[in-house]
Amino acid sequence: MLQYVNVNIDGAIIHTTKGNSILNTAVEYGICIPHLCHVPYLSDIGACRLCVVEHVVNGRSNITTSCTLNAEEGMAVMTNTDRIRKLRRNLAELLVAQAPNSRAIQDIAVRCGVKEVRYPFRNEDCVLCGRCVRACTELWKARAIGFVGRGKNRRVDYPFGVRPDFCKQCGACVQLCPMTITPCNGPMKPGEERLCGNCESQLMISENTPGSCTWCKLGESFACGRYA
Amino acid sequence: MSRLNSFRELEHLREQLRNQRKNIKTSVMVCGGTGCRASRSQAVIEAVRNEISQQGLEPTVRLCVTGCHGFCEQGPVMIIEPGNIFYCHISPEDAFEIIFHTLKKGQIIDRLLYTDPVSGKSYRTESEIPFYRAQDRQILSQNLNVDPCSIEDYIVAGGYSALAKVLSGITPEEIISEIKTSGLRGRGGGGFPTGRKWSECKEAPGDEKYVICNADEGDPGAYMDRCVLEGNPHLVLEGMMIGAWAVGARKGYVYVRNEYPLAVKHSRIAVEQARDLGLLGDNILGSSFSFNVDIARGGGAFVCGESTALMASVEGKVGEPRPKDVHTVVDGLFHKPTTLNNVETWANVPSIMLNGSSWFASKGTPKSKGTKILALTGRIKNTGLVEVAMGTPIRTVVFDIGGGAADGKAVKAVQTGGPSGGCLPVDMFDLAVDFDVLAEAGSMIGSGGMVVMDESSCMVDVAKYFLEFLQDESCGKCVPCRLGIDRMLEIVTDITEGRGRPDQLDLLEELADTVSQTALCGLGKTAPNPVLSTLRYFRAEYEAHIKEKKCPAGVCRSLITYFIDPDKCTGCGTCLRECANKAITGVKKEPHVIDAALCIKCGICRSECKFDAIRVA
Amino acid sequence: MTPKTLDQIMEGRRSQPNQLIEALQDVQENYGYISEEAMKAVSLGLGVPLMEVYRVASFYKAFRLRPAGKNVLTMCMGTACHVRSSRLLLDHATGQLGVKPGEVTTDGLFSIQQVNCLGACALGPIVTENGSYHHHMTPGKLRKLIETLRQKAEDRQNVPT
Repeated sequence: MLQYVNVNIDGAIIHTTKGNSILNTAVEYGICIPHLCHVPYLSDIGACRLCVVEHVVNGRSNITTSCTLNAEEGMAVMTNTDRIRKLRRNLAELLVAQAPNSRAIQDIAVRCGVKEVRYPFRNEDCVLCGRCVRACTELWKARAIGFVGRGKNRRVDYPFGVRPDFCKQCGACVQLCPMTITPCNGPMKPGEERLCGNCESQLMISENTPGSCTWCKLGESFACGRYA
Repeated sequence: MSRLNSFRELEHLREQLRNQRKNIKTSVMVCGGTGCRASRSQAVIEAVRNEISQQGLEPTVRLCVTGCHGFCEQGPVMIIEPGNIFYCHISPEDAFEIIFHTLKKGQIIDRLLYTDPVSGKSYRTESEIPFYRAQDRQILSQNLNVDPCSIEDYIVAGGYSALAKVLSGITPEEIISEIKTSGLRGRGGGGFPTGRKWSECKEAPGDEKYVICNADEGDPGAYMDRCVLEGNPHLVLEGMMIGAWAVGARKGYVYVRNEYPLAVKHSRIAVEQARDLGLLGDNILGSSFSFNVDIARGGGAFVCGESTALMASVEGKVGEPRPKDVHTVVDGLFHKPTTLNNVETWANVPSIMLNGSSWFASKGTPKSKGTKILALTGRIKNTGLVEVAMGTPIRTVVFDIGGGAADGKAVKAVQTGGPSGGCLPVDMFDLAVDFDVLAEAGSMIGSGGMVVMDESSCMVDVAKYFLEFLQDESCGKCVPCRLGIDRMLEIVTDITEGRGRPDQLDLLEELADTVSQTALCGLGKTAPNPVLSTLRYFRAEYEAHIKEKKCPAGVCRSLITYFIDPDKCTGCGTCLRECANKAITGVKKEPHVIDAALCIKCGICRSECKFDAIRVA
Repeated sequence: MTPKTLDQIMEGRRSQPNQLIEALQDVQENYGYISEEAMKAVSLGLGVPLMEVYRVASFYKAFRLRPAGKNVLTMCMGTACHVRSSRLLLDHATGQLGVKPGEVTTDGLFSIQQVNCLGACALGPIVTENGSYHHHMTPGKLRKLIETLRQKAEDRQNVPT
């Protein structure tokens, strides 16, 4: 039997099922919390940390990821305070400095308010969001790819680096990967990376109404829960 | 020895074993811990054993191979009771003399006594030695009484009486209340009130619960847990048993770091021996308490010291931490309520149950009770394991116990708490060893590692060292830790290699702040501490690297040059021969010269030069 | 002591996924490294997906995925050893042997392994090989140690059978 609870997100009292994540609750309601590694039909791991919110308990704020925070009766959460915006901006800056060659990452950077990138750009082709791994493990249960190694050497790979015969070639991994969406002006060559500001994404509009969903192309292109 | 089925049988066995030893007049305790083994204590032990037998002293002399005594640099170490005679730097050849003169005739062998490097004085007994005198060795002293592979030793010394006391009439609620009143806080680094943790676990729904002993001890420079687990595994087991009874667990795990083979071996032996005697298994000592313990080995990952990563590792998975929105006391190992505590925390439990919470709370400060074992290492004269009452000033530890700086250089800072902790400058040494005091100052007690640094340590290099360590050990799952530490390291490396810019310090602080707030687990959250604390107290060193492109301590290779002092150089040619890059030229008996363009600053010449003629600018 | 076979290692562990790390550790101890064949056997025996076995084997430093040299020089990089210049020792070792940590020399005799703390901090810098601990190491002592080990290996090869 489904239980329902009321939670307070940014002052709005929202009615949702008990155990639903705060991220899902907010997105369903129309409050946009930027996220990268969350996919509606896959498990949440709290890896990208972009969806951080302030969870207010006994007058104190705990910073935690909204995708792993499950709704309880009377929970109070703030998603758009100055503190949160600054943290998100810094996280998005790290991401775009690491992998600027993706429209999705560039859009996220703009959405999170990144105006300048203070680190030297690198041109990595994977941000280790884990969407591909979780799709392979949970959707198709093929377990043909996974995370190997640790820390700086962590990467996604097949067992022994060779595509196994139990890979079903379903393409789910490719479909969910944010890196497959190249910037509008074309791929950036090494040495030419920059913070792009020219995307057609409707995210720019959200500057005037921060926090509310604008049915952006970013979300459409990589399975934001609002479109589910 | 047959299985013990009641408290009375345990006491009976204890009496029996003590009776068997009543003819023992002298005990010879030789350290067989990892540190002394590296100094070849095994050979010493064999030699001593032979001599005792050959000189016919077997019936009245007991040779006990103990765990670590804590004074590792003086090893191999031996203590003779009665008399508390302390011999150090023993070699196998000394065995004959020790047995013949000291044991048989009661004569002291002066050359084997400890000489204090500060005063030059020799000391006869352990209790007089300055290193030991200022300590309060509640737990470490117990290492002297037992051979870790002998449950008989542990029982003779009074072991398992706390368990018997608890099982014969103290309820779980009363145990938890006692631990709460004692003020015991986690000794692994978190400092969480142990009583509260046990209480929350006991209240958690479910009747399958676990207790875990965290012996991962990943902090480099810390080896307290190794010492306790290697030297007195039964003490830790007894603590775990009491805890298990209190929270309602029937299964426990001891998670031991892979790099501690002796600790793994001794824990396994201890568990087997306890099982054989019926101290582990069903209906322990005839009570309704059933409990079993397994030893799990680590795989070489610092991150597995974090509780959720450790539990994942016991479950056979990768040691990736998971978000702790629901605490592990409710949802832990195999998703069951789990109480995870550090080795030293468990080791404190039996004595609290025997002596009472007020005894424990009589030591320490209002919020930090009891004693703490510290691994005192680095650039001081006396390095080793020390145990002090909470509230002891750092100054006492570094100077009274540690003997002050080695090599005549001035002590500059102390790094406490491992990679999660920070560096405190010497003018803050009046601060007490206390959980909250150190945390407020920007460091922490952590697991107890205390590395002393002198003017030859570059604080920017120290920050770089810890960032490199954490980058290597990070599991890599979350963005702030994986990318944040990487970028912090990039900036600090730029600074140490002369590419630093003034605006980078502000960026470093902002990034550090973001990482500490958004990281998924404790490793990431505390990763910025070494950087933040060195920036707070040693900003001048950072600025010297950035503005003047100089390394004041003479460490950062891109910013220093090696040169030979012509007044000290005798032209012996040693450095010329040793230089791997052929950067030194010179004629015999004439001062030699280093070609800065070829010099890679590896330091070999400096360490080989007997005249201290090689300098760094 | 004859090394255990894969079957012996899997004994008592069949269909117990949480024994994965213990099983891999036994494989590492007995074979010196974890081969593809071993991983497949462990995967089948424990009922753990091959991807997961590979993931665990590549995550933990204790597991080597390639054979090591005959002499593995384990060098402690802990804090106490670091302030006593263990970094210098490592650079010296990599220079003298011509390999980076984790690689094997071309004659198969040596590999270098970095470890984050051996727990003998008062005696640093520490280098261990084949179960022996060497303390208070200097670049000079290390060079001699490597030469001694090399000599021993050559002596063993030269002994007539």
